[in-house]
Amino acid sequence: MTSTLDLALTEPESSRLHRLRHNNVTVWVTMLIASAASLVASFVLAIDALTLAEDPNAELGCNINAVISCGTVATSWQSSLLGFPNAFLGLVTEPVVITLAVAALGGVRFPRWFMLSAQVVYTVGLLFAYWLFEQAMFDIGALCPWCLLITLATTLVFFEMSYVNIRDDNLYLPRRAQAALTTFVRSNFDIMLVIAWLLVLVLAVVLKYGETLFA
Amino acid sequence: MSKQAQLQRQELRRAQQAAAAQRARRRRILTWAGALVIVGLIAAITVAVVQAAGRERTLPDVTGEVVPPQHLTPGGAIPVGAAAAPVTVEIYFDYMCPACGAFESANAGELDRLLADGVVRIELRPIAFLDEQSSGTEYSTRSANAVAVVADAAPDLVWDFHTALYGHQPTEGSDGLSDEQIAAIAADAGVPADVVDRFTDGTYRPWVASVTRDAFDSGVQGTPTVKIDGVVFEGNVYAVGPLTKAIESAAAGQ
Repeated sequence: MTSTLDLALTEPESSRLHRLRHNNVTVWVTMLIASAASLVASFVLAIDALTLAEDPNAELGCNINAVISCGTVATSWQSSLLGFPNAFLGLVTEPVVITLAVAALGGVRFPRWFMLSAQVVYTVGLLFAYWLFEQAMFDIGALCPWCLLITLATTLVFFEMSYVNIRDDNLYLPRRAQAALTTFVRSNFDIMLVIAWLLVLVLAVVLKYGETLFA
Repeated sequence: MSKQAQLQRQELRRAQQAAAAQRARRRRILTWAGALVIVGLIAAITVAVVQAAGRERTLPDVTGEVVPPQHLTPGGAIPVGAAAAPVTVEIYFDYMCPACGAFESANAGELDRLLADGVVRIELRPIAFLDEQSSGTEYSTRSANAVAVVADAAPDLVWDFHTALYGHQPTEGSDGLSDEQIAAIAADAGVPADVVDRFTDGTYRPWVASVTRDAFDSGVQGTPTVKIDGVVFEGNVYAVGPLTKAIESAAAGQ
């Protein structure tokens, strides 16, 4: 009685795109690339911070106009929230994610408590990244390209890490919640959510700064 | 196998199939809804970009006779500082423009110093192209008109009034400062009361509109536009330092 159409709908697992997306290698490689991008961005921002510490009037390569200005962002108090440049945090934490991704690609399976800790710590990092984004958008009134790259990369790492931890049942969730999340992920609603979310951010930037950026 | 058991099993299977079909249907609907949201967002971004890129500047119309204030430079700017200073810095700005506020807060102190040292003479070119950003109160025009009045009747106080206006800059899209607030700021800057009283006459509104049009006709792209001895300064105007350096090297080169 089961037709092919029914199968395709009840089992979207059969589509090639779906298989690629849920492939273990894809997941970890995405996380690897995103965390490496974050590391590079943190590195550039850390060097900028040192340059500005030496000469507060230094011209940075990414001071393009009133909106795209690393200098404006880098000299704000928010950019050294803990008393040192935020970028240092990226230099310390991103290599851990890179190591995690490489090890996983090599076949290492981390214990549940380890992955749960990684998820918790990374969630704090994500919240921090979004707080900075919000401050840059609405308080500082300037955006810096490297910071935006970090916002994007952090979102992707968080997304893939959540994916893995839901898939591998690492979050110590009640059974019902775990089942619901598994269905959510297997139905690809998570990736739609992330895409929509990133588009919302783009839309916000365009609405607020479009005139300066494109006119 | 009893006939009843067979029937029961069939029914169970049918119920399971129905449940699976319903789940599939729900998933399909949600997928379509999600796809629709994503397409909608992409469309919204495209529209916003196109709108932002194609936004026409709404320049004020010149209504009434253009009466320029007295004491302007031959080029029609409001002069500040010693006429004999070696370097001339021309600034095009709108009192509503946030980037101009950023420019002022970065450079006002340095410009004060260079003015006092007689290194620079500033030519102010207030323009009003952001009137639509003050909820209909035309703050850009009102503030530029007020500055023109001061330039006309109390030229020595123009710079102080100008910096004080930026010190109280309203946010873009707000109502702007009221006439009373502008008057109070002028009074604080030392502008005599009889001069302040002329602000609301709007004498220089046509002049403001006409210099705004002239500015864009002459190739000014936006504000702040800063020219050093007639050449547009391309450096970072939002940080303390680059402009000062450029002014000082212009002065040294003479």
